[in-house]
Amino acid sequence: MVSQTRREFLKLGLAAAASAAAASGIEIPLLGNQNSNLQNQLDSANTQVTNLKTKLNTVTGFVSLNISEQSLVEAVVETIIPSDSTGPGAKEAGVIYFIDRALAGDYGQSANMFMDAPHVLPNIPAATGISTTLMVNPSLSWAFLLAPGGGYSVAGGGGSSAPKAYTGNNATTPKIPITANPRVGSGINYQYWMNLREFWRAGLVAFSGTAKSYSNKAYGGNFETLSSTNQLQALKDLWSNAPKTTYATSDDLTGFSNILPSDFAYELTFMTWAGFLMDPLYGGNQNMVGWDYVGFNGVNFGNFYGEGFNQQTLMVATTPTKLKPASLAQYQQAATGGT
Amino acid sequence: MSTVINEPAVDVVCLGVGYMSGVVATELALQNYKVVGITKGPYWDYVNDFSMTKYDEWGVGLGRKYDSPLPLQTTTIRNNSSQFALPVRRYTMPIQYHALGHGVGGAAQHYGGTMGRQGPWGYQMLSRTNQDLGVTPLTTPLPSSINPQDDTHDWPLTYEQYEKYYVAWENAHGLCGNYNGSPTNSSTDQYSQKYPWMSQNYRLPPHPLTPVAQMFQTATQAMGYNPFPHVSSLASQPYTNSYGVTVNPCVYDGYCGGPCDYACETGAKANAAYRTIPAAMKTNNFTLVTNAYIYRLDYDTTNNQVTAARYYDAQGNIHVQPAAVFFNGMWGYNMIRIMLLSGVGVPYQYNSGTGTGTGTVGRGLTNGYLPFNGTNVSGTLSIGGNSYAAGNGSGGSVDIYDLMDDNFDHTGQNFIGGSQIGMGGYLGGGPGNITFAGGVGGPSSSNPNGSMGSAFKAKQQNKYLPKTVGVGATRFAPDLPTFMNYVDLDPHYTDAYGDPVSRLTYDWTPNTYNGAIGLVQKCKDILTKMGAQNITVGNAVNPGGAHNDWWGHHLRGGCRIGSDPSFAVYSGYNQLFLSPTSGVNYFGAGEITNTTGDTVPSGTHVAGPQSYRAAEGIAKYLNNIKLGGSVNYLAA
Repeated sequence: MVSQTRREFLKLGLAAAASAAAASGIEIPLLGNQNSNLQNQLDSANTQVTNLKTKLNTVTGFVSLNISEQSLVEAVVETIIPSDSTGPGAKEAGVIYFIDRALAGDYGQSANMFMDAPHVLPNIPAATGISTTLMVNPSLSWAFLLAPGGGYSVAGGGGSSAPKAYTGNNATTPKIPITANPRVGSGINYQYWMNLREFWRAGLVAFSGTAKSYSNKAYGGNFETLSSTNQLQALKDLWSNAPKTTYATSDDLTGFSNILPSDFAYELTFMTWAGFLMDPLYGGNQNMVGWDYVGFNGVNFGNFYGEGFNQQTLMVATTPTKLKPASLAQYQQAATGGT
Repeated sequence: MSTVINEPAVDVVCLGVGYMSGVVATELALQNYKVVGITKGPYWDYVNDFSMTKYDEWGVGLGRKYDSPLPLQTTTIRNNSSQFALPVRRYTMPIQYHALGHGVGGAAQHYGGTMGRQGPWGYQMLSRTNQDLGVTPLTTPLPSSINPQDDTHDWPLTYEQYEKYYVAWENAHGLCGNYNGSPTNSSTDQYSQKYPWMSQNYRLPPHPLTPVAQMFQTATQAMGYNPFPHVSSLASQPYTNSYGVTVNPCVYDGYCGGPCDYACETGAKANAAYRTIPAAMKTNNFTLVTNAYIYRLDYDTTNNQVTAARYYDAQGNIHVQPAAVFFNGMWGYNMIRIMLLSGVGVPYQYNSGTGTGTGTVGRGLTNGYLPFNGTNVSGTLSIGGNSYAAGNGSGGSVDIYDLMDDNFDHTGQNFIGGSQIGMGGYLGGGPGNITFAGGVGGPSSSNPNGSMGSAFKAKQQNKYLPKTVGVGATRFAPDLPTFMNYVDLDPHYTDAYGDPVSRLTYDWTPNTYNGAIGLVQKCKDILTKMGAQNITVGNAVNPGGAHNDWWGHHLRGGCRIGSDPSFAVYSGYNQLFLSPTSGVNYFGAGEITNTTGDTVPSGTHVAGPQSYRAAEGIAKYLNNIKLGGSVNYLAA
């Protein structure tokens, strides 16, 4: 792993890069010929590096969540992973920044998802909101595409130009000739026409903040104002789809008419834990508090800080060894400064 | 309008450049045939593409940045033919979905490298079962209590016939292990029909065994079983393969195959990009075309010949690539899809009224991984360890084949076959955060508040530093081909270019579930012998109910090889045949061409010999043309 000298050198390199912003030029000392003056410069540089790293590692400001969403999401993530006597929680890890960045990026844009119509929602009862018939454009049908030399056509596919009609399905009273829904999972659970940013926007409003929102109707106020017991209960209600079963469909809740509450609860919970446990590169898990809590090593393979452990020994050990975690940015910095 | 570019004709075009095409391209290029390999993705250079960026669970494990983009192409899935099939819109969240590979190496860029030969019974599942098994011999078709609408057939070749191709494949890819459990490794004695005997041992030694693996080894030995080190395709030592390609060893950093997502930064994980394609490149007879999306094969219906492959390049131009022979090495349903789109072979059509079907392309889909809810046994061992990322995706464990195939007494059981059983993989084997995150859920009996609140959080503290190790097993018997499970084209959803995506119609078969119930007791006995505490057998949830809806990475069958074109797409030379005497200049191999499902660790290892068999067939075919021969079918 990187030697002490090399790591000092790396830090100085970073300090030199930072010096432009700090408006205090620092010469990179000759490491083989240090005197006390150079040592002072080195210490000063190290202090600057520490300060800079703190800033780099602590993302602040929002790029996607608006003011009311910020306060709601903050309360939600701190309910899911509370800060308590066992250790730091979502607050210290900066989970809300992870979520904010993710919503502004590929996750929120559903950038790597297949988002084409038709959108048939297997779990949403047809009675609420999805009564509009979904029309499948017949020009999309493969039966009209013929390969050179003759294509493949089967009965029921080709020939007819009549649009096929599908509506939101109801397992007990299907409106279309579908006898049952496929069991969902493995990537087919998410069938919404919204990308995930839109999904969160709709879900958050449905959950809290307006007179028709679930938190306000069921618990008498915005989620942020509830007792911690009620906060946890309100989230559990989402998992059990209580917003749909507690209130008559005529008393429609904003947003949850088109969203299954448990699907939204999944995103809230999943993204909170992801923000606690993914690499700090993405804004959460700040100072690697999440990894420290669960005992994860990141990219410390046993000797990142000069501990001297061997990876092959660690993998067949019969007693655990806790390693101080290292991040991808640290790894890259060490690697590019090395050979 | 797209520009149409006509490419010069070559001897062989390989469709897709993964494991199978890598072998075919290299074998034929070395024999001085001109070969073109076409893949929809890039060439991955492990040094530049992986070494600095792969330690990233969010980007790689969950974002799947090295895998085939879903907006380009997806598939739809349903459980039976009366349902509307829903498109796969998302990778991994909340339940892991099989991610297709992208580029040279294909899906093998991101797998765990787990391997294992199929035993002799697996090749003759039907005839051997009818002959050998049980108090009451089974008849064809298999009873519906085992496999309704049974469509099981034997392979066209036996294990004995495939053995030399196994050796060639293993030497090319540098497999690690130490035989397969036969006490004698004889090809003729009583064990030769039970264990996959080897004419040559694996090229590299096995990876170091974990403490759990050693306990499993001791326990199973004492029970009269025949344990052997798990077979892995991650190089345990520096290695120069049979084509002269040098291979780096595994560095055991753990970012490997736990969730099967992490490409290898040293190239130790075998795949075409780092084992075969470099040798093909050196011949000057091989051309690699990357970022090229094959959308049609031109098919001459008069002469039953494929004349060209058509693909879009990254600029949207259309290329037409003619060849004398075409080899389809595309992954899973993509092999089937391009055939259906192009009118190559006879499309399968299911008749739900009669419970049978006609045609072959898409027929007999089976699944290689079936974790039923509640068919598990678990316990704890009084040793601890490090379960953070350490080790590799498939090494360190020990297997037995004694409860696989017809290697044990099936009296009173309502299933055929059994399963490889193994234990003791490295505790890490990949960052566990993803596994955990994938398990995020709502309130349950074990987690009253779901994955939320202080009590659940406390359970996560130091979870990578266990003081006792949990062990468990969930096994199942082979998934058998049935008329109900198949692949066709979806009538509603298309790829980015407007062509229909594939549609999978699949549900679990009773044989797998009955096997899971039967095998769990035997796994329990092993755990007991190992000295595990708190052994608990789950409450099995019958398939068809609310069981796990995980779709495996390993789709098998659906485009099978066989001795008869009434059910099989390909012959014993992996050549497309339309009658017992008429073949097409088109070959194919992959897990999807496996004739039956199986429960060895890897259908890829089982597919491997077919790539050598196909290469041999293609060479014969081309040689026949050269000599002015007109026979276009190779009798297997």
